[in-house]
Amino acid sequence: MQGPDGMESSDAALVARVLHGEVNAYGALVSRYRDKYARYAVHMLGNREDAEEALQDAFTRAYRSLARCEDPERFGAWLFRILVNRCRTSGARRVRRSQTFVHDETALLNASQEHPAEQTMWREEIERALGELSADQREAFLLKYVEELGYDEMAEITGVGVSALKMRVMRACDRLRILLREVHSA
Amino acid sequence: MPDWGRTTLELIVQELQRPVRVDESFDRRVMVRVRRLYAERRPRGAAGWMGAAVNLTRRPAYAAALAAGVVAVVTVGMLRSSHPGAAVGAESPIPVQFVLVAPEARSVAVVGDFNNWGLGDTALVAENHNGVWSVSAPVKAGVHRYAFLVNGKQWVADPTAPRAASDDFGQPSSALVVEGTVE
Amino acid sequence: MVALVAGAFSSAEAQDPRIGNRLDAPTRKALSALVDSARAQGIPVEPLMEKVYQGLAMGADGPRIVVAVRSLTVEMANAHRVLGAVATTDELKAAAYAVHAGVPAVELGKMKKQSGLRRSLTLPFTVLADIVSRGVPVQTAANAIRSLVGAGARDRDISEFQRNVQVDIEKGAQPQAAAETRAKGAVTTTTPAPRPEKREQE
Repeated sequence: MQGPDGMESSDAALVARVLHGEVNAYGALVSRYRDKYARYAVHMLGNREDAEEALQDAFTRAYRSLARCEDPERFGAWLFRILVNRCRTSGARRVRRSQTFVHDETALLNASQEHPAEQTMWREEIERALGELSADQREAFLLKYVEELGYDEMAEITGVGVSALKMRVMRACDRLRILLREVHSA
Repeated sequence: MPDWGRTTLELIVQELQRPVRVDESFDRRVMVRVRRLYAERRPRGAAGWMGAAVNLTRRPAYAAALAAGVVAVVTVGMLRSSHPGAAVGAESPIPVQFVLVAPEARSVAVVGDFNNWGLGDTALVAENHNGVWSVSAPVKAGVHRYAFLVNGKQWVADPTAPRAASDDFGQPSSALVVEGTVE
Repeated sequence: MVALVAGAFSSAEAQDPRIGNRLDAPTRKALSALVDSARAQGIPVEPLMEKVYQGLAMGADGPRIVVAVRSLTVEMANAHRVLGAVATTDELKAAAYAVHAGVPAVELGKMKKQSGLRRSLTLPFTVLADIVSRGVPVQTAANAIRSLVGAGARDRDISEFQRNVQVDIEKGAQPQAAAETRAKGAVTTTTPAPRPEKREQE
């Protein structure tokens, strides 16, 4: 949501407006974070429907608890914590489907103009391998390598200690290596 | 850092970091839920306080205006809902009574931002009680422009309410602020 | 209520019974451009539509409605610039009307900065526009309202101030004197509103 001077409204400004009664300002926060956090939810839960439901749920819960967001400037991080929790409790089974994800056509095109079919297969292999991880390992791997969080941030979000998180990340990498090397050596 | 090919890990991460686009209807679905939550928090049972707030208050200061036979209006220029513990959103309608003293009028209607200025037959038609015309309507919290339309053609501002600029269309109108409080 | 949808002057307008055939094509085109421009700037479009309905109800022709909507767009943009993203739609509307009455937008920005986030300035801006329209010099009016807001006056106090100034002027008082006198009295007698606390939402 931009003002006439082209500057984007900060999270804190939007949160203030929502708390002041301007519910529609919340829409700007939804637009701002939905794509970014959809990515995490999709990889964590393995299918779009469950991911979108978890994401909707997270946005709704965040709205309900908005007055308790202690640092509105970091609304995004606070929302992400809610989403991570929703993904944990959603109870969704990872379903391996060949057309589970809506691919970003532009990214696909740029990435592999020569061999788009290979790119799709590679992605599906990765997703399948992710599905083989335990939920804890998958969560830790995604937070560390895909969302690029530091271990302290991960600990804050998950409530798990840093050393336990490091162990989960390491085991996730080991498992992925085995799974993907098995695929490639097959 | 795992001890297997960093390149492989980078490729995996690169793939997983590709954007995942969500349909724009997602935003609408979220906002439907959010607005429902918002509406559920509107106050109930505030009628007692609100009843007192909208009672006519005839101020001695306006006796001269009344005596002069000038169209005089007693209305509430500002209403605040502050029912303790209640949360009133900006979209909660609050009952407002509009009153116009116009003994010579044959009809009086109230039109303004809150009823699309009477377009589409939404004008609020006042009832006459011995020259005192009145009508009540729910008006959502916010700032509104309004005016009385006397005999279907004469635009009359509320003399006791804040003025709105009249230069846009050459007709007088008034400002009404109905305020909600998010507690 | 005003039912605004995206592209109010596109396909929706044809079905809008409030507008119907009352606007000719050039007017619709001009208004559409104004609404799109406002939306692109993050300016709420509902007030613009309300202005259209007001113009139609008051029998104004198309060009006059366009002029009014254009003025309001500019005034709201000015208000948005000085009040920032924290201003509510109602504050922007009231601020735009104050700008229309002749109050420099920068004065409104000073008031917003002074009052902080938790106090709506919708009513103070409305009263400011009113007393300026009654002849109170702009700076006197701005100073009066700012002093009231700064003293923590509630909306009811500021409403009372407006009514008193109006009555004084109608009785023959010089507008500046009326505003200054009443503001001094209101500041002295004001009991500041309690600072609202954030509500638990769950």
